[in-house]
Amino acid sequence: MKRRDFLKQTTFASSMFFVPQFLKAFEQIATEKFGNKKIVIIQLKGGNDGLNTVVPFRNDIYYQQRKNIALKENETLKISDEVGLHKSLQALHNLYEKGFVSIINNVGYPNPNLSHFRATDIWQTASDSHQFLQNGWVGRYLDFTKGTPTKAIEVDESLSLLLKGKTQNGLAVTDSKTLYNSLREPFYRNVINANADAHLSEHNLGYLYTTMIDAKSSAKYIFEKTKIKAASNNYPKNLFGKQLKTISQFINSGLDTQVFYAGLTGFDTHANQPNTQARLLKTYAESMEVFVDDLQKNNNFDDVLILTFSEFGRRVQQNESQGTDHGAANNVFLIGKNLKKQGLYNDVPNLANLDANGNLQYEVDFREVYATILDKWLQVDDKAILNNNFSKLKFV
Amino acid sequence: MKSAHVQHLFNRVGFGISPKELERLSKKSKRKIIDEIFHSSIKTTPLKVDLSFLKGLKPADFKNKERRKELQKISRKKVDDFSIAWVDRILNPTEMFREKMTLFWTNHFVCESRNILYAQNYNNMLRTNAFGNFANFTKIVSKEAAMLAYLNNKQNKKKSSNENFARELMELFTLGQGNYTETDIKEAARAFTGYNHNFRGEFVMRRKHHDEGEKTFFGKKGNFNGDDIVHIILAQKQCARHISEKIYSYFVNENINKNHVEEMTTVFFKDYNIEKLMRFVLLSDWFYTTENIGTKIKSPVELLAGIHTIIPYSFEKPKQVLLVQRLLGQTLMRPPNVAGWQTGRNWIDSNTLVRRLRLPSILLNNAEITYSDTGDEETMVTDLKSKRLKRKAFIKTKVAWVSFEKNYKEYSNKELIPFVLTSEINSGTQQLLLKNLSIPMKDFCVQLMSLPEYQLC
Repeated sequence: MKRRDFLKQTTFASSMFFVPQFLKAFEQIATEKFGNKKIVIIQLKGGNDGLNTVVPFRNDIYYQQRKNIALKENETLKISDEVGLHKSLQALHNLYEKGFVSIINNVGYPNPNLSHFRATDIWQTASDSHQFLQNGWVGRYLDFTKGTPTKAIEVDESLSLLLKGKTQNGLAVTDSKTLYNSLREPFYRNVINANADAHLSEHNLGYLYTTMIDAKSSAKYIFEKTKIKAASNNYPKNLFGKQLKTISQFINSGLDTQVFYAGLTGFDTHANQPNTQARLLKTYAESMEVFVDDLQKNNNFDDVLILTFSEFGRRVQQNESQGTDHGAANNVFLIGKNLKKQGLYNDVPNLANLDANGNLQYEVDFREVYATILDKWLQVDDKAILNNNFSKLKFV
Repeated sequence: MKSAHVQHLFNRVGFGISPKELERLSKKSKRKIIDEIFHSSIKTTPLKVDLSFLKGLKPADFKNKERRKELQKISRKKVDDFSIAWVDRILNPTEMFREKMTLFWTNHFVCESRNILYAQNYNNMLRTNAFGNFANFTKIVSKEAAMLAYLNNKQNKKKSSNENFARELMELFTLGQGNYTETDIKEAARAFTGYNHNFRGEFVMRRKHHDEGEKTFFGKKGNFNGDDIVHIILAQKQCARHISEKIYSYFVNENINKNHVEEMTTVFFKDYNIEKLMRFVLLSDWFYTTENIGTKIKSPVELLAGIHTIIPYSFEKPKQVLLVQRLLGQTLMRPPNVAGWQTGRNWIDSNTLVRRLRLPSILLNNAEITYSDTGDEETMVTDLKSKRLKRKAFIKTKVAWVSFEKNYKEYSNKELIPFVLTSEINSGTQQLLLKNLSIPMKDFCVQLMSLPEYQLC
């Protein structure tokens, strides 16, 4: 062989990025140096009305702006002389009384976007208002920690941007058995076995095979490790309750997952808000209480932090249909056992100082919440993941 | 032309090719084949759904809240019907290349509307201009009712500007991020003030909301309107480059070859003629090199259409087309956001891959898909309890096996492989296939389509 040809071939070979499967197994061990803390992220989808969730019942502007839908003092569960939780949040109030809840008010970002989809993308990618990022902050966390797909699980049919990274993706699972069984069909078993020792290239075909093999091993891992009886049977009998039950099963069965994501839909209350919101908040609060209780019984609550957000809050002034339109800054809930600051983290919104659209102004950038979770809870370099240096809060 | 190259060409400008066509065309020269492809897409056949419910409607009908809600509901349903009709059109295209090109522009000039009239007009506008002049195209887009609403340019007024359209015009539609300043956006937004449309969706310039003052844009001063802004943008070579890159990444390879893109840019910058640019790409030698064949990850729609080219099928319940699209991650008429669908590897995660691998058996063997219906954010959930936690859907299809049998009867299972798979085949899989050659051809074909290799074209 001529030297030139030899060189050509070796460059070709090295560009193929051969990684035998057994080496990948070693790589995974290397990632174990990261902590064992877990974060459960809940999105109240559609834009929850934060002002009727954490109610400033001494505020005149609140009652002026919301003639039909404001909650009276006796319709709230008091948490301070001026503030009460929506009456449907009894279960959450129970957790609050135990010191398990921290409420951060006025969370948002500059130039808020009022479209559900765009605002959700912004929250999921941790981008600026005008920036289009193609991967989520949890996805980038997986990139950074070289985490396997099971490290971040979304309990849903399809994977959100939140869990998609540049090189790693999380996993969307509702039913690990179905996923497991579909790839266990003899045909796929044979295809996977036939290529098990193959050197997969970094090209698209290699990516497809890697994803298929990962999907199978993730599904197998989850399916075999999960004990059905690991969760209580008291969860509300609806989709959200079922999602939380699944997460509880995963955590209590000892899965290595560090991030979970689930959502409760229906908060886009442009009309007839009071009943809808009351019902949804009740579902949320009851699910949270059962979930926390379940984790405590299994001695897992110490290691779990729950973050609840909504893509935006709602307009301060109600509309003519007993509802509210899309707004901006909103409150964020944190639920955990050893919160550094319990209760109201900061002041409730200033209703006299709204933006040009009549929406609440933000005071805490939502990425400060993420930065705090990454830095202090998951103990990774938040700057590498958020591509920016955000100041840290003091809730954990 | 080599048969593998003809096949590659048809995978990229269409959705595959039948063995008979492949045989016929392989005897012709590259130029002849490409002429034929363009010739068969000369016409534009608009895609339409039944809009008779709009007959006789007046603006006053929308003043009444109940009536408005009712009309909006019908309109939303019609947009779903349009999505279904569109998939059907792609599966049975009248002008193949024009449809493929329309799909490209859909993901470039991204827009969504729940008003079926505006949505349909917009979609057919993309179809009509698919091979036209990019300058005209961009100006028309800026005046479409659907776009005026989608990027809030309707709200862009002299006294209260809205920069949304101006920003996306430069960031996504023409120049690409980082090739303009915030001042350029502000000034461009001023030029687009007063753009609006009437009830029928026709463009109207609202003079009193238009800013007649002098604007400074890319160093030029003048009382510019939107059309002027488009001209100034297109005078930047970067615009031709940005579009060329997008075309390259859609039709050739997501890994950009800068030299090839520069060649395209030079061609396109001359007169922004889209047809000329596409001819240049398809006639180039590099379009047919190994690294560009069988290496692109199919979009969900390409996957659905590709299966259909080999084994024609139709949905017994047309609505299930929407479910299939959603589960695969691409519902036509419902782009995720103004940046459009993220393509290539972004189509693939564990779930979508498993669904894509199982798609042929689902479509062709009446297999079952399990899914839970979570609805979307816009849907108000009125009764959580009555929502079933999980549903099972049988996708019911009619499969034209006769057509498949007729088209492939002369071939053996082994000869079928290159018709179905154009990518390289992993060695383990290759061995497995060769061991399996004795099974019925129908089953063998479904197996080929159920491989990771079939995700590529």
